[in-house]
Amino acid sequence: MTDERRHDDDRRHQERRIGDRRTGTGGVRIYILPGWVRAWHWTNAILILTMIATGFSLHYADAKIPVVEFSLAVRIHNTAGVLLVALWSFFVIANAVTGNWWQFVPKPPGILERCIKQTRYYMWGVFKGEHEPYPVTPEENFNALQALTYWFMIYIVMPLLVVTGLIFLYPQYAPKEMFGVDGLFPIAVVHYVCATIVATFIVAHVYLCTFGKKVSSTFKTMITGWHEH
Amino acid sequence: MSWNACGKIVLLACVAMLSFTAFAEENEPKGPSPQMLEKIRKKNDECFACHSEEGLKHPPQEGMDLKKLRGLLRDKEAFHASDHQRLACTKCHNEGYDDFPHEPDAKESTSSCPDCHQKKADHAQAQFDKSVHAKNLSDKFTCTTCHNPHVMRRADKLGDPRKIVEQDNRVCLGCHDSDERFAQFAPEKKDRPLIDDIHKWLPNTRAHWKAVRCVECHTPVVAAKEPISHEILDKKRAEKKCVTCHSRDTQLKVRLYRHLASEEQNKFGFANSVVLNENYVIGATRNPLVDKLMIGLAALTLFGVLGHAALRVVMHYLRRRNKND
Repeated sequence: MTDERRHDDDRRHQERRIGDRRTGTGGVRIYILPGWVRAWHWTNAILILTMIATGFSLHYADAKIPVVEFSLAVRIHNTAGVLLVALWSFFVIANAVTGNWWQFVPKPPGILERCIKQTRYYMWGVFKGEHEPYPVTPEENFNALQALTYWFMIYIVMPLLVVTGLIFLYPQYAPKEMFGVDGLFPIAVVHYVCATIVATFIVAHVYLCTFGKKVSSTFKTMITGWHEH
Repeated sequence: MSWNACGKIVLLACVAMLSFTAFAEENEPKGPSPQMLEKIRKKNDECFACHSEEGLKHPPQEGMDLKKLRGLLRDKEAFHASDHQRLACTKCHNEGYDDFPHEPDAKESTSSCPDCHQKKADHAQAQFDKSVHAKNLSDKFTCTTCHNPHVMRRADKLGDPRKIVEQDNRVCLGCHDSDERFAQFAPEKKDRPLIDDIHKWLPNTRAHWKAVRCVECHTPVVAAKEPISHEILDKKRAEKKCVTCHSRDTQLKVRLYRHLASEEQNKFGFANSVVLNENYVIGATRNPLVDKLMIGLAALTLFGVLGHAALRVVMHYLRRRNKND
């Protein structure tokens, strides 16, 4: 174990992330998610769902089927967007300060093998009733595939969404022209593609939460912070 | 995209531009010959010698009423870019202006717009009669209240939508964003409503004014080939539905962008690419391919998840049955 990893683990211990193992009942119950992570998660969920609903009705604006009235959708999208920028900034800073960012880094060696094994489980093993190949531990909340996906969402897709969204909010700062078209168009495409990735991520994310000990277990974990398997 | 395809697009764009220019030139009324035009400009210079900033600074004659002249200055460059650029000043200011001082009643014999544009004026009058400006101001309003004949250029001649917007909005904001000028026309005791306040409902208000004309919303819907109406609508009747412009069937195509050739409209596979070239308009500027890809990605995920869940349930049921057996 490297010094950094040891130091990081110590910090986690200070955050009361020590597992409360109960053996003898055939299962494991560990506390993995501190209050601030859970509070961030649900606030984030509400804001992102609001952004998707209003963003969809803005992009596919139609006089015949208005999902949310256009000017109302603009105001909601802008307000929720600013809150989301603040929340995302808070999460990134809090991750850095508490060391929670380390959860999103798949630990070598054998990352690729673990990803393949995990994919095989999702595509095959789960149908045969196999157990999760890499169960949750206080040190590693996520399997390698999850860590990579979450890292990609938080540190690649979200920054792109935030930056393009802010330019949309202040279009006067957008480049006048890019690739021979209005400068806002490439910004819009990146924003739209990233938003769709987030929306599809949510579908898969919610579904994968049914892979817990019981269908409802992971949803409970996200509320109580206690994980069971 | 290959270089070959890029080359084709550039070539097509050049051909489109050339044909557009040719069309524009054909459409320009036949004016005087170059020699005649030079003669006209020389004659006009005699007028600009006094009726310009330069004339005010260095009056060519003594004893001129400079205070009066200050209100009668014209911008020579703007005039040379206007629709009336090929006309002699004396075409309209026709009697009593040959000598200085001008005849005291010279102004009365100045031509009015219908003298040359009778048909258009009749058409506009019928629309204007229904306009908000006709309610209390019909006696104060003439064509030139809005259409300054010394500077205005027809939208189809300006071509660039940004220039059209700048020119046309200057007309409306000239009164509606100026207490002094508003008071000249408004009924007594009528305070000028603050332009930002009455448009508070409109998100990105000032950005809209740079991108579209006031008349985009403040005139009734017209048929595709009809010009914008002279019936100016008040705030109660003006367009308030954002989706009129912010949707695939955007009205902008038949309004601000109507002068751009129709073959430009769906270039490069974009819906409303003619708008896209100038402005990105949420809801109106879409790439159908990107839309299809995004909807496909979302649908694939959703159906993938549903299929996976269904298979899990079935397999779970089968395992249980096998166990019981």
